[in-house]
Amino acid sequence: MTACIALVAIGPSQHMLDVILLSFMWAGLALAWNIAGGYAGLISLGHAAFFGIGAYTSSILTAKAGVTPWIGMWVGAVAAAVIGAILTLICARLRGPFFILSTLAAAEVVRIGALNWTSVTGGAEGLMILPTPSAMNMVFGSKTTYAMLMLIYMVVTYVVTKAIEGSRYGYYLFAIRDDEEAASAAGVNPLLARTGAMCTSAFLTAIGGSLFAQYFLFLDPTNVISPELSFQFALIPALGGLGTAIGPVLGAFVITPLSELLRSYFGGGAAGLHLAIYGAVLIIVMLYFPSGISGALMRHLTWKGDSAR
Amino acid sequence: MVAMTTIGQLVFSGLLIGSIYALMSMGLTLIFGVLRVVNFAHGEFLMFAMYGAWAFVTYTGFNAYVACLAVVPAMLLYGALIHWIIIRPGLNKPHLVVVFATMGLSILMQNLALLVFSADLFDVPPLNAGRSITIGPFYAKLELLIGFGVTLLATAVIHVVLKSTYLGKAIRATVQDGEAAQLMGIPVPRIFLITFSAGSALVGLSACVMIPLFSVFPSVGLNFVLIAFVVVVLGGMGSLEGALLGGICIGVVQSLSGYYVAPAYGQMFFFILFLLVMVFRPAGLMGRRGEATLGMLD
Amino acid sequence: MTVLLEVKNLTRIFGSLRAVNGVNFTIREGELVGLIGPNGAGKSTLYNLIAGAIRPTAGAIVLNGMEVTGWKPYRAAKAGVARTFQIPKPYRNLNVIDNVVVSALMHHRSVAEARAAAEGILVDFGLSDYLESPIGVLTVGLLKRLEVARAVALQPRLVLFDEIMAGLTPSEVRSMTSLVASLPGRGITVIWVEHVLYAIMNTVRRIMVMHRGQLIADDAPEKIAKDPTVIKAYFGEEMPVA
Repeated sequence: MTACIALVAIGPSQHMLDVILLSFMWAGLALAWNIAGGYAGLISLGHAAFFGIGAYTSSILTAKAGVTPWIGMWVGAVAAAVIGAILTLICARLRGPFFILSTLAAAEVVRIGALNWTSVTGGAEGLMILPTPSAMNMVFGSKTTYAMLMLIYMVVTYVVTKAIEGSRYGYYLFAIRDDEEAASAAGVNPLLARTGAMCTSAFLTAIGGSLFAQYFLFLDPTNVISPELSFQFALIPALGGLGTAIGPVLGAFVITPLSELLRSYFGGGAAGLHLAIYGAVLIIVMLYFPSGISGALMRHLTWKGDSAR
Repeated sequence: MVAMTTIGQLVFSGLLIGSIYALMSMGLTLIFGVLRVVNFAHGEFLMFAMYGAWAFVTYTGFNAYVACLAVVPAMLLYGALIHWIIIRPGLNKPHLVVVFATMGLSILMQNLALLVFSADLFDVPPLNAGRSITIGPFYAKLELLIGFGVTLLATAVIHVVLKSTYLGKAIRATVQDGEAAQLMGIPVPRIFLITFSAGSALVGLSACVMIPLFSVFPSVGLNFVLIAFVVVVLGGMGSLEGALLGGICIGVVQSLSGYYVAPAYGQMFFFILFLLVMVFRPAGLMGRRGEATLGMLD
Repeated sequence: MTVLLEVKNLTRIFGSLRAVNGVNFTIREGELVGLIGPNGAGKSTLYNLIAGAIRPTAGAIVLNGMEVTGWKPYRAAKAGVARTFQIPKPYRNLNVIDNVVVSALMHHRSVAEARAAAEGILVDFGLSDYLESPIGVLTVGLLKRLEVARAVALQPRLVLFDEIMAGLTPSEVRSMTSLVASLPGRGITVIWVEHVLYAIMNTVRRIMVMHRGQLIADDAPEKIAKDPTVIKAYFGEEMPVA
């Protein structure tokens, strides 16, 4: 990661800058997902909904009301947090696969809604953001600036994650994740804890969405609120190591460049090979290294043998 | 009276397509009931089987129903294979291992299909030159009617097996209490293998029924798996009759909402239905109360 | 001594089964009370009712003069009721000390304070060698001790022990018994469900006996041992007592 930051400073090729920038973004998004999925045990396969809510809210506010995304993104984040809270309340009694499937269903509701609310979202045609560079409208001419933005995003989510991890609230999240009954008996209010985790996660994911919108300058529901994207939000932390702060970051920095590499290497002639490999790797990692890359690394690096939180 | 006939026709069509949705979901619900795992690659199993059926029809010239003879056993073996290498190692681990592993499997399968078959849509020629048959006041495509028939037959057969054979009783015992079943001498790991394979075989059967009605392409699984999840949840995980009932409900809801509300929103309806079921009766129509909320994976 | 817990006519019905059927008793502060009974007597259900894991069909639970009937588990915990689980339920991804920290956080605002308190308790309970160990290395006996430590870390008024002796070696039973006996001295009132009778018969001064959902005896251990109703409940017939 430090290497990447250094690289950015040095000024690499545009393509590499793209990869680095996206790695930063995915690290932030993975960290955000991890707060709900890894720390609280709320495995969501619908996080793309929050991403989309963030992206669309700030973009629509810019397009229709001239509000700068610097402000718009907070609105989107709050909206996502509210939706996250509602979702958690609806699914308050659901555990395991029932919860997971509900997140999937909810995200699909959001996607189809966005697809059909054409007056506001532009539907399948998508929403475009004017590419004229303007710092006030969060549109930049240089990729390096975007990379900086994403870097800040990643750092902020990392800091938030670490803060939660070491806090009283963090302990309560781990407790309800590991044994909700025992945690309740220890005075933890499960619903409150779950809702807080989901809201925080949704909030941060939405910010990432807004930033992405400003970078990509084009949104459409099929790509921005898709189940495939939702899976990605979950897979990266899973591969990197759920329940740790460094895991999602590692996952992002391994997966993003790797998939870029595979795509450009095999891309044209064998579309899908890179993803096939990705799928196979995921299977192997989950079955044999369930604590992900970070877990495997930790086992090699630690001599005390403490468990990773 | 025109409106009545329209509703009647819609319900009838919904019933038929719903039965096919049910058939497609039965494997999933059985697997869940017995193994307590959700196979996130279920849609891809269907996709593979549909390609298999398509290939059979295209290269042998026989129709899709004959393809069953090849596809069903193939899926049985494939299910056994996947159970052996992926499901079994994941069973004693935290449930998210199986969740992510089957997700990985789903990605792998989708992209293998993409590599081998490309992203084009493949179809088989329709029966009866695509015309519909009239049954009383209603009409329906022959494929749909056959699908309905196959579903009823399959449900009946499975029902009989579950009720009357030793295997069936062993399966039901495992569904109710895996530990107790094991203590009673039931070879639970073997039951798991048999159930997973049988569930996959069922998927194979439904693929043969579905290929005359739907095109196959690498990501076709995703649409169907979402439907299957809704059907299974609505009907109650682990309940065969529930899957049948759930499937029919979904079929009818889709049919009616597609006509009276915009077809695009039709899909949204059954996700909302899903969420409503989750809120009010998470165990589904025929599932056991409290199943969704108990620590069932302990 | 002041009354800590009053259970009034508590009833819980599952379908046609009266798991707990009109149970009445009072526990005073500082008491160390045993609760015994054959399997299926309703002891676990009684615990679940008091701790808030399930709601009663009828009856009331009064803690410290406060009606806590039907309170959710976390509220009951905050009101001062701690419990252990028959099969220990540790937080598997946290190490030993963190397991206790979760409980200690109830009365300590900062994580650092909670950690210090947790360490103190674990040392008292003879688990000082395992502070940073993962849960996986603990034996059954140690896990049960951890369960007790977690409960005590809540600084409860009342603790409900559920078969904490099962699976322990005789020497482990001895050390656990002296731990439990020391609790009233720390201001913790104890109700103790136990099958390993020799552990509690000599430690407690009062034993309640449940059978088929009802309280059939509530007296000193010596009297309980000779009570014909109790003997009948356990053995199904009259048996001469030595």
